[in-house]
Amino acid sequence: MELTASVLDLEWSEIKDKVTRFIRDYVEKSGVEGAVVALSGGVDSCTVAALSALALDGKKVYGLMLPEKETLNHRDIEHARLVAKKFKIKTQLCDITPALEALYKSIPIFDHSEKVCKGNIKARTRMIYVYYYANNLNLIVCGSSDKSETMMGYFTKWGDIAADISPIMDLYKTQVRGLAQHLGIPREIVTKPSSPALWRDQTAENELGVKYELLDLILYGLEHFVNSKEIANQLNVNPELVEKIRSRWLFMEHKRRPLLTSKLQYRTIGWDFRLPRSSY
Amino acid sequence: MKEKFKIALAQMSSERENKKENIRKMEKIVAKAKKQGADLAVFPELALTGYVIRDQIYDLAETIPGPSTKTIEGIARKNNMHIVFGMPELSEKAEATVYDTAVLVSPEGVVGKYRKLHLPTHSVFEEKRYFRPGYEAVALDTELGKIGLIICYDIFFPEISRLTRLEGAKLIVCISASPSVRRGFFEVLTVARAMENTVFLAYVNLVGVEDGLQFWGGSRLVGPQGKVLAQAKYDKEDIVICEVNYSDMRSVEPFVPTLKDLRPELFDELKKYARDF
Repeated sequence: MELTASVLDLEWSEIKDKVTRFIRDYVEKSGVEGAVVALSGGVDSCTVAALSALALDGKKVYGLMLPEKETLNHRDIEHARLVAKKFKIKTQLCDITPALEALYKSIPIFDHSEKVCKGNIKARTRMIYVYYYANNLNLIVCGSSDKSETMMGYFTKWGDIAADISPIMDLYKTQVRGLAQHLGIPREIVTKPSSPALWRDQTAENELGVKYELLDLILYGLEHFVNSKEIANQLNVNPELVEKIRSRWLFMEHKRRPLLTSKLQYRTIGWDFRLPRSSY
Repeated sequence: MKEKFKIALAQMSSERENKKENIRKMEKIVAKAKKQGADLAVFPELALTGYVIRDQIYDLAETIPGPSTKTIEGIARKNNMHIVFGMPELSEKAEATVYDTAVLVSPEGVVGKYRKLHLPTHSVFEEKRYFRPGYEAVALDTELGKIGLIICYDIFFPEISRLTRLEGAKLIVCISASPSVRRGFFEVLTVARAMENTVFLAYVNLVGVEDGLQFWGGSRLVGPQGKVLAQAKYDKEDIVICEVNYSDMRSVEPFVPTLKDLRPELFDELKKYARDF
């Protein structure tokens, strides 16, 4: 296998059809009114919002913008609105700052300097809002996690990853960008640096320590059982970088498969209790 | 025996775990196909129950004969039709031993059945977890000629199609539940199996979304020269009525004489190396 950028190229119109069919099928079988998407203004959530609108009709899609004062970025809100307008999606903006401040205050051991712990509260608070809308308006939560972030464990457990369906979770970030472009998402959204907005000036590539163009090829190689040495060789990068990514890729399975218990009885959740998903 | 007849490629989506609804749907399709002159209706693999049924298989599997085959026999009789469909078959001799089975029913009743030989247990497939494999290829005598039955992943193994052909099958029916990422394989293999055996091959695939897994449809009839004679839609339910004319086989065999040129001595070698592989 040759690891060049072209391996990540997909037939975007076919991908669009498959994903929209997937969303439509799930919503129809669930018997709900539509979908709610946490619309941050980033490429992932804008793409999922657009796909949901194409699958269901924009009138049935809620784009929820959930800013808070520390990471407030007016450009992101503008981008979210731009996509909502283009795909005729309903939007609502909820400032989550008061909820966050109440939470910080009510946790006796809360420490402002622990930015990851604090950031995770933000992601989980956003989840609470999204699920409130879903429950109250009879919608499903359409998640925006992509394959690069999910494989690297770059998400908050029970936070931004929480969703009823995750339509783009089998697409690496650079592939999401390709699909976004195909859908007509404005270029400035497609190319801007991704951020989970947990603290100011946070960017995904800085934290992951590698550009998505390279990361995705390494992850693609790992997915296809290419060994680390061969990946490093082909991509002409330091083998230590590939090994570091591989270790994280393996280690993060605990975040991807969170229901774990000890086997004590006949059929056990997460192991051999294997039921079809027949009610949604 | 009829030299010429019509087949309905009944590319349906199944409602999972709802045998009653699926039989009702099959009955409607059979009646419609009959009106259009079909003598044989072919439904996908596990059309009776849906494909992604996991542990529920033990509740859904039935013996053959059993209540579902009895109902399908009634439909075949009423419509004077042959029907091939897929179902999880419960062994008569055990409580929870299940086969992935294709059943051929004529207006006179069940003609025979084929238990899937090759059970994929890789990628998204977990068939060996639930099914016991069959142990023989099957070609069944009908008034529509001898019909060979294979199921989905079997098509990757040329031996089984060849076996049914050598047993005298003039039509190979392959019922399938193939997810969309596998389309490329099946579009090539359906043509290859028909061509190398100079035989008609009817491929009928499931369609719809089950547990997020999308089945691509694309059912087709391939002629003995490898030509796609009829093709159903991708990703949508569809019924395609198409014609099998066995007289077409006569001119193909002298032109592509694969059966005449078979070298049985190679089969011993194949057996030897396959075991040591």
